Amino acid sequence: MNLLGLEDRQWILLATVVFASSFVLGAYSALKLKRKTGRPYMLGLVCFGWILQTIGLYARGLEYGGCPLANRFELVQFMVWSAICLYIFVGPAFRVSLLGVFTSSFATIFSILSLAIPSWDASERFSIFGDSPWIEMHAALALFSYGVFGILALTSLMYLLQSRSLKTKSVGGLFPFMPSIVDLAQINTRLLWIGFIILTVSLAIGSVYWLSDLSSVDALKLSMTLVVWLAYGILLVIRIRQSISSKRFSWICILFFFAALTSLEAVDQEAPPKEVETPPDALVS
Amino acid sequence: MSSDRQAFLLLSINHEHVPLEERERYSLDSKKICHLYQSLNDSGVARESLILSTCNRFELYACLPQTETNGKHLIQTLSSFHELDFMRVNNHSKISGGREAIEHLIEVSAGLRSQITGEAEIFGQVKEAYACCQDHSQAGKVINRVFQKSFQAAKLIRHTTPIGQGQINISNVAVDLSARIFGRLSETSALVIGTGDIGEKTVKALKSRGVSRFGIASHSRERASEVAESWGGTPLSLEDLPSYLNRHDIVIASTDAESPIITKSDLEPLLLKRKDRPIFLVDLGLPRNIDQRCEDFDNVFLYNLDDLARIAEDNLKERQKAIAESKAIAEEKAAAIWMSLRKRELG
Repeated sequence: MNLLGLEDRQWILLATVVFASSFVLGAYSALKLKRKTGRPYMLGLVCFGWILQTIGLYARGLEYGGCPLANRFELVQFMVWSAICLYIFVGPAFRVSLLGVFTSSFATIFSILSLAIPSWDASERFSIFGDSPWIEMHAALALFSYGVFGILALTSLMYLLQSRSLKTKSVGGLFPFMPSIVDLAQINTRLLWIGFIILTVSLAIGSVYWLSDLSSVDALKLSMTLVVWLAYGILLVIRIRQSISSKRFSWICILFFFAALTSLEAVDQEAPPKEVETPPDALVS
Repeated sequence: MSSDRQAFLLLSINHEHVPLEERERYSLDSKKICHLYQSLNDSGVARESLILSTCNRFELYACLPQTETNGKHLIQTLSSFHELDFMRVNNHSKISGGREAIEHLIEVSAGLRSQITGEAEIFGQVKEAYACCQDHSQAGKVINRVFQKSFQAAKLIRHTTPIGQGQINISNVAVDLSARIFGRLSETSALVIGTGDIGEKTVKALKSRGVSRFGIASHSRERASEVAESWGGTPLSLEDLPSYLNRHDIVIASTDAESPIITKSDLEPLLLKRKDRPIFLVDLGLPRNIDQRCEDFDNVFLYNLDDLARIAEDNLKERQKAIAESKAIAEEKAAAIWMSLRKRELG
């Protein structure tokens, strides 16, 4: 849909260019100029990209009359949007140096992928989540938690890089600007909590819908979702019990995130054609 | 040329050419600075003036009538103020003027002239001196313009070059690494094994970054107590090392022991108790005090003298490049500021 003179994909393309610019700027400052790009500049630039992306997603939402979560392109874009949203609104509280650079690179890579693969944005869209606003809420929260897990994967990567640089005594490059490994380990645990809580709330909302009509959710989708939820839940318990080292925990967070991404494949499966489901009374009232 | 033109002069007595025992004669507290401003006013020589007094330098920036380009009157005022022989003050003073004085100011503000090149504290001190000068109504068109523009140039240097980054002495490198492992050092505890000079320097560096809990271990409890009293910290006996090693996050070993005092097998049971908390081992001993195999553990970060020296050397190379870049910026900006003063017929 055309909004303010540009198509939704064009807005998203512009946002991707801004994310890529903030990544290049941040990386160049740290690696070449040996200084951090000031947090306000990085935050401002990422915010600008996020606003452009929001306009793009909003335009698409207007076109289809609902949350744009109907194909893989939209799912990935929404996940990126969530990760950036978390960086903008929660990131400053973590005070993680270079998180903006890492988040921008994450946004750039996934945005380019989703824009470059035409089949991800098929012209024949199928409403994956039905028409209930509660189900849209369930889906949006689930994808938001994926955004949180995406940031968790990034901070885990930062932990591994910083830890490796200290171990191998190669202390130049980006490393002097990155947070300490103790701080990163604490942030990782907090992010896991946040992501897991959001995913749990999302599944709780979804389960009410599913219990009212057991055939409404594809078994593969259901089992994949539960596997992701259980995996992160078990990881959280292990972490709280301190039965795992930060290094192993970081590796697992990265692996889980990529595994969780594959679950989007199941979410994106076309459901069998059926009439538009009537939302349960308890949810719409 | 306008009759309003004046000379912008700098009288500098600093650590680059005057030893500490002589420099301390010129040191001024805020009260004395007030008196010196008063003396400068009374002498009627300087139309504008600014006094900068830090532990490493005494500097007097002044606008004088154009005929006063050798700074004789400034030296005279200073020798009277300190009740020192004119020739003595003259020998200690370095006079520069115009563009050269502005370049010096930029370099001082950016930390290029500091004892520890690139340190940031001096910038605040120069700004304070400028504020004090304004409070004494000594800042006019020239001082205001020169200082404001020089601050901009100094900021540019600090923001566009890595002048203030990377430590160049071993103790500070160790402290920097501690911060990259633990973040806020105020929440960590350090153990110093051995009571040598390098251990003391590292303790001082750690203290300056917020570490407040120290254990000082030595073969002799008496020696540990003696040193702990002077450095601060809890005296400990080296024989009991396994009982307290686990309570510390940063361990600095600098003894003359012939064999390692911390081995991999000593560390293994302790790491289980530490759960996931890392430990930073700094081995400053020669021969080495800590078994190199200790770094086989994930959460153990072991650096010896060679490792720290290599990092310090890398940082020094980076800093030398930055100094050359910074000086070029200072030169260019000083020329521009001086040109703008001349255009306005102020200099």
